[in-house]
Amino acid sequence: MPNIIACYKWVLDEQDIKINPGNQALDTSRAKSKISEYDRNALEEAVLQATKCGATVASLTFGNSTAKKSLKDALSRGPEKAYWVNDAVADTADGFVTATVLAAALQKIDEYDVIMFGEGAADTYGQQVGPRVATLLGIPAITFVTEMSIVGNQVTATRKIGDCTEVTTAQFPVVITVLPEINKPRIPSLKQVLGASKKPVTEWKTGDLGLTPEDLVPKNKIKSIKGFVMSRKNVLYKEGTPAENVASLVASLTKEGLL
Amino acid sequence: MPEIWIYSEDTNVAEQLLTVGRELADKLIQPLCAVTIFADDAQGLIASGADKVIVLKGDNPWPECYATPIATLVAQQSPVALIIGGTLRGKDLAAKVAARLKTGLVTDAFAIRVENGAIETDRMMYGGLAVCTEILSGIGMITVPPRIYEAPVKDTSRSGEIKTSEVVVETSMTVGNVCPIIRQGADITIADKLVCVGRGLGKQEDMQIATDLAMALGAEMACTRSVAEDYHWLPNESYIGLSGQRVKPSLYLSMGVSGQVQHVAGIRDSKIIVAIDTNENAPIFAVADYGIVGDLYQIVPLLTEAIKK
Repeated sequence: MPNIIACYKWVLDEQDIKINPGNQALDTSRAKSKISEYDRNALEEAVLQATKCGATVASLTFGNSTAKKSLKDALSRGPEKAYWVNDAVADTADGFVTATVLAAALQKIDEYDVIMFGEGAADTYGQQVGPRVATLLGIPAITFVTEMSIVGNQVTATRKIGDCTEVTTAQFPVVITVLPEINKPRIPSLKQVLGASKKPVTEWKTGDLGLTPEDLVPKNKIKSIKGFVMSRKNVLYKEGTPAENVASLVASLTKEGLL
Repeated sequence: MPEIWIYSEDTNVAEQLLTVGRELADKLIQPLCAVTIFADDAQGLIASGADKVIVLKGDNPWPECYATPIATLVAQQSPVALIIGGTLRGKDLAAKVAARLKTGLVTDAFAIRVENGAIETDRMMYGGLAVCTEILSGIGMITVPPRIYEAPVKDTSRSGEIKTSEVVVETSMTVGNVCPIIRQGADITIADKLVCVGRGLGKQEDMQIATDLAMALGAEMACTRSVAEDYHWLPNESYIGLSGQRVKPSLYLSMGVSGQVQHVAGIRDSKIIVAIDTNENAPIFAVADYGIVGDLYQIVPLLTEAIKK
C-alpha cells in the first residue's frame, strides 16, 4: 500500500495584515493563521489519489507552536495521521531551512512513496521547497501538475508549464507539486472535523531530526519587509449621475492619450 | 570566479537577463557569463552583452534535467550571482540547483541592485501586500520573471569566448506528450489594453457588456481567478494574479473586481488603472488611477457608447 505524505505550511492570513501608513511596517498582531491555500490543493489531491489506489495519507508541517492549531484542520481534510516539526526557527526559515527540515522529517518517517506540495506558499510564494526536498532526498520532482494518476509504483502527471503541457512519469518515491486548478479543496464536514481530533499526531523538535545548527540558519539576510504602496492618482467619480461620471472618465482617459 | 552568470532555457528570457546582468557586472567590475543549452544561440547571447558563453552539451532535450550539471559547474567556478529566468521550468531547475549548492534562492525578484558591494533584491510577499528586501550571501541565486527587463539591442560586432562543456544528463523521469497550449484568447501579458471582469458580474451572459467595451477600446479580455477557475467564463490563461498572469498594459480597466491583494499583484505594472464597482470601499479603488462608483450594468454600456463616439 503506497504512503502519500502531503506537506503544508501554516501561514498568516494576508487579509488580516495591516500596513502602518507612517513607515509601511506590517502589523501582523491581529492576523490569524491558515493552511496555505496552495497546500490545501496538495492535501486534497493526496486524499483523492489515496481513495483511488488504496494509499495511506499523512500530513507533514514545519511550524512554530501556533501550528498546533493547524493539525486538526489538516486532519479534517482527510489524512489519517499528522506529523509536526514544532520549532520556533520556522518563523525565520527560508526555502533552504524549510526543505532541510522537511527532508530530515521525511527520512525519519522513512516510508514515503509520493510527497505532495502546493506550487508555492501563500506568504512567501517561493515555489522552491518541493523540488528542493526532492533533490535532498535524491528523488525526482514533477512540478506544476494539473492532473495525476498512480498505477502500481508509478506516478504519471501532466505538467502545465507556461505555453505547453507535458506528461511526465516517474517511479516511487517522487515529489509532486500541484497547481491550484488540479482540484477544489473540500470544506470539511462537521463529522470530519470531529473525527480529526481522534487521529494520531507525531510531534518532533528539530533536535529530534539530527540537524546541525547551520541547517537552521537562513542563507540570505532579510533587510526589510515593508507594505507595498502603489502611488496612483486615485481620482474617484461618484457624486454625479452615471452619465456624468462616464463623461468625466472619458475626459480623463482622453487626456491620458488612451482613447 | 567573481563573475555574474545568467541562465534560461528560453533564449528570449536569457537576453532579458543580460540587461540586468550587465548592470551588475559593470557595477562590480566583473565579467558577464551566459550559460545555455543551445549552441546555436551562443553568438546571439554575446551580441546581447555576454562576455562569455558556456554551452552545456548533453543528450537530453528536457531542460529541467540540466540542474545537476549546472550545479556542478557553479560549484567548480563559484560565480558571485546566478540569475535564472523565472519561467516555470526555470524555477523548477533553480530550486534543484540551490538545493545541491545549499544556497538561498530569491524567487521572482523584480529589482536587483548592488548596495555596499553586496547584491540586494526586492520581491513580493503576502500575495503582493509587502515587498521583501534581501541581502544575498554566498552564490546569490535569483529567479527573475520574464519581461521584467527588456532585452538589450544586439551588437553583432561584440566578441566573446564560447566554451562548450560536454555534460552527462541523467534523469529518472520520462517525458512525453508535449502539447502546446492553444490559447483561446489573446496573450494578455503583452496586450496594450485590458478589460478585466470580476465576480461583480452576475452571470455569464453579462460578459457581453464587457466584450462590447473591449471591442470599443480595442482591448483584450481578462478576468480574476474565480471567474476563470470557478465559473470558467474565460480560459485559465486569462486570469490575472500572483499565480496567474502578470500584465503591464497601458490601460487596465476592471468591472466588478474587488481587488484582492493577489489580483492587484498582477496589475501593478499597468500604466493606468481604471475601476468600476458598486462598493466604494473595494480595495481596487485604492490602487486605481480613475474609478467610477456605481452599477456596472449602467456604467459600462454608457462608457462603451461614449468611446464609440
